[in-house]
Amino acid sequence: MIPVALGVTFILFSLLSVTPGDPARLALGEDASEESLNEFRREYGLDRSFLVRYGFFVYNAAVNQDIGRSYVTRRPVAGEMANTFPVTLNLAFGAITFATVLGMTFGIICAIKQYSIFDNVTMVIAMLGISTPIFYLGILFILWFSVRLRWLPSSGFDTLSQRILPWITLSAPSMSIITRMTRSSMLEVIRSDYIRTARAKGQKESVVILKHALQNALIPIVTIIGIQFGLLLGGSILTESVFSIPGVGRLAVEGIKSRDYPIVQGAVLYIAIAYVFINLFVDLLYAWIDPRLRTRYRY
Amino acid sequence: MTQHSEFLLEIRDLRVQFHTDTGLVKAVEGLNFTLKRGEAVGLVGETGAGKTTTALAIMQLIASPPGKITSGQIFFDGKDILTKSEEEKRHIRGKKVAMIFQDPMTSLNPVLTVQEQIAEMIRLHEQVTNKEALEKARAMLQLVGIQPERGPDYPHQFSGGMKQRVVIAIALACNPQLLIADEPTTALDVTIQAQVLELMRELKQHFNTATILITHDLGVVAELCDSVAIMYAGRILEKADARTLYGNPQHPYTQGLFHSIPDLTKNVHRLNTMPGLPPDPTALPPGCCFAPRCQYADEACSANSPDMTEVEPGHFVACFKIQEKNGRQAHG
Ligand SMILES: Nc1ncnc2c1ncn2[C@@H]1O[C@H](COP(=O)(O)OP(=O)(O)O)[C@@H](O)[C@H]1O
Ligand SMILES: [Mg+2]
Repeated sequence: MIPVALGVTFILFSLLSVTPGDPARLALGEDASEESLNEFRREYGLDRSFLVRYGFFVYNAAVNQDIGRSYVTRRPVAGEMANTFPVTLNLAFGAITFATVLGMTFGIICAIKQYSIFDNVTMVIAMLGISTPIFYLGILFILWFSVRLRWLPSSGFDTLSQRILPWITLSAPSMSIITRMTRSSMLEVIRSDYIRTARAKGQKESVVILKHALQNALIPIVTIIGIQFGLLLGGSILTESVFSIPGVGRLAVEGIKSRDYPIVQGAVLYIAIAYVFINLFVDLLYAWIDPRLRTRYRY
Repeated sequence: MTQHSEFLLEIRDLRVQFHTDTGLVKAVEGLNFTLKRGEAVGLVGETGAGKTTTALAIMQLIASPPGKITSGQIFFDGKDILTKSEEEKRHIRGKKVAMIFQDPMTSLNPVLTVQEQIAEMIRLHEQVTNKEALEKARAMLQLVGIQPERGPDYPHQFSGGMKQRVVIAIALACNPQLLIADEPTTALDVTIQAQVLELMRELKQHFNTATILITHDLGVVAELCDSVAIMYAGRILEKADARTLYGNPQHPYTQGLFHSIPDLTKNVHRLNTMPGLPPDPTALPPGCCFAPRCQYADEACSANSPDMTEVEPGHFVACFKIQEKNGRQAHG
């Protein structure tokens, strides 16, 4: 995890250091005097070279658990993250849960009823779900469900009704991919010999599908869900902007606009760490699902 | 009221077809077959003859689509299983008829322990607690020559021969009346084959289960079976007890099979090829299915399909030429 955090922040530092725009000018406004600008640059180390700044950043983060302060609000980045990161996590978790539950259900039904009308319609919708950009889908949903039907609010993230549209919007591409993955993985497993063995025992079809087939089909599905969760954290930036949700994504976008480097760094760092944890969790899940991986370590 | 039938299994005019991209595959085409209680029959035929399809039809496990049983009856214990509900079929599968599949490497679920896979069968058909089922599962492992302590292991921790032993343990766990073994040793090494066959022979004596042993290998049949049925292009061409058939094969196809064994004393039991190929199952010939390859065939053979007739007690052959010959002998 530490190498990942170091790598990500280093790349980000490099990118931000070559980004045009003067953070001091943007933070203090057009009227600020040259003196106060220099004062600001000294205070935040902007007068030093980028390697020195990076060294300070790593040192402060490692020793003082301090990842800097916002140029704009002058509040600690950690505090800003504490306010916004839970919102983003909630958004991503809600979306991935939605995508997983519905995606797997649809995928299983499609596999059992291959080439049926349900299967064909679902596959077409899934194709649309993958190819439609999130922001477009979000605007479409707002127009339809908020403006036209007046069922759900179009912004905010405090109440359940405010959360539903963002969850669905953000989950759409992942749900489509999970549906397709579940379908193809189940189709492959359902044809295998051990499924025939299970049926030959006189086992109920529902148990054959949900116990014998699903657990075997799960391995590629879990991989996809892990990848999708990572992408969702990135995708939340767009969703948060469309639905005016006060999450890390929107904070990062504002940070980029105002060249508020510490905020951008904080946001990316948090998302990267979350990503690492997701991958770790997925690896543990593998071992839990697939005994072949478990015993590989034992022997 | 159950009518006690002489036969444990009686198949009448069974037809199974698969709808495929290349056409309608007639995998089983008018098959007639009987099996007595406790009898072990070897079902012998080339690849594609419809042996597996017949077995799956008895198990009621023909994949649909693409497969369909288009006609016929399968009487098990005097009752036609084709007319039963799915619920009733489930009570026959596993409990009364069990099946061992060809490839042990893929027949076991990789994510479940072997004892769980045996116990599942027991829990399905017997009134037992989970603990009792697992105990019985381990006892079954012992019976097939695997240490019971290996019960909590997973399939990938066993060799091919050991896996097939586990598969046999699953099949016999509920003491079925009929065991169908579909080429149980084809996928195994020769030395392992012998061990698994030895095990099957022991278990057959132990349980006295009626058995359909599907194989290419006439040597295996000679060792394990009471009778032999020769299958070709979806039909049975000849059936007799093993001694009779080996001593006096009648059907030209059967004779061809025995002829194609170079030398029995050299212990080569595999079928060699005879001239010609089995017919395309999407375009079966109208008459006798063997006529295109048969040196004795005439127009009558290509026009109609011969029925099975009894040429001597217990020896059935489907061939016009044999019927003719026997008719002549009877008259002259
Ligand atoms: N699921 C299936 N779909 C299409 N054709 C099949 C299927 N299963 C079997 N067949 C066809 O049915 C015929 C008989 O096959 P099978 O019963 O497996 O023969 P055997 O076990 O004697 O080798 C073959 O021509 C095979 O191609
Ligand atoms: Mg076969």
